[in-house]
Amino acid sequence: MIRTSVEVWIEEPLRRFVDDASVSLALLLHPSGQVLAQYGFTRAMDIMSACALAAAIHVSAAELGKQLEGKPFSGLHHAGKVRQIFLADARTASGAYIFLTVFDERSSLGLVRLYFDEFRANLAKAAPLPSEAPEPMLNENFERELNKNLAVLFGRA
Amino acid sequence: MSSPFTPVLDALTRQRGVRASLVVSAADGITIDSNLQIGQDGSRVAALAASLYRKARKSAAAAGLGGTGFMQLEAETGRLCAIGGEEIVLVVVADRSANVGLIRVEMLRAAEALA
Repeated sequence: MIRTSVEVWIEEPLRRFVDDASVSLALLLHPSGQVLAQYGFTRAMDIMSACALAAAIHVSAAELGKQLEGKPFSGLHHAGKVRQIFLADARTASGAYIFLTVFDERSSLGLVRLYFDEFRANLAKAAPLPSEAPEPMLNENFERELNKNLAVLFGRA
Repeated sequence: MSSPFTPVLDALTRQRGVRASLVVSAADGITIDSNLQIGQDGSRVAALAASLYRKARKSAAAAGLGGTGFMQLEAETGRLCAIGGEEIVLVVVADRSANVGLIRVEMLRAAEALA
């Protein structure tokens, strides 16, 4: 089992979420698209792609929510034939993050939402104070790739 | 606001000792309609009960026992009852002192009405 957390304080809340909700994949990222923790991915390229797309989808959904309801949508669910995704934001003292998870018939949207609420609360509890939180360090190529994806999504390419 | 499930849920909640009754999507574990007493967390119960019922069905099938009908979970201070199928699960949360026989009959009747 491969599990990577860039910051130690994320490890325990993420482990609990994955165990409780029985999800296949999980990803916590900075809104810029920088990965902070992951579960279930086996290739760095997949993580980079998922982060870039998740950040872009989150921005798109937030903007759509602002236009429709005057405030950003905070969660998104998409059901495929076999697998489903759930994307939502998690706010802590050290900043806002985006959480993406993929699940199949072993779990359900109800369980994922239930345990995501707990994960969000545990993350907020574990998060360091803003002064202790390290600044995200973006890889130049990664940022360029993410900007390219965002540009395509928003029609600027 | 009433739904097609409201009469069924009202009939179940009228039973003595029933704290909550819910119609839940079996696949998603999301509440479709519910009748809850104060203090009951409907979405939490719905997600976990639907998951439990789905796993009970799979366990019964794996053991070669065929389809699952009525499921009852006895806890320290109450009972959780569930009945359903591929699409919908009917869930009742009741006190330990509740007459589970009457609840069972009412749930079987409700399941027939919903089928």
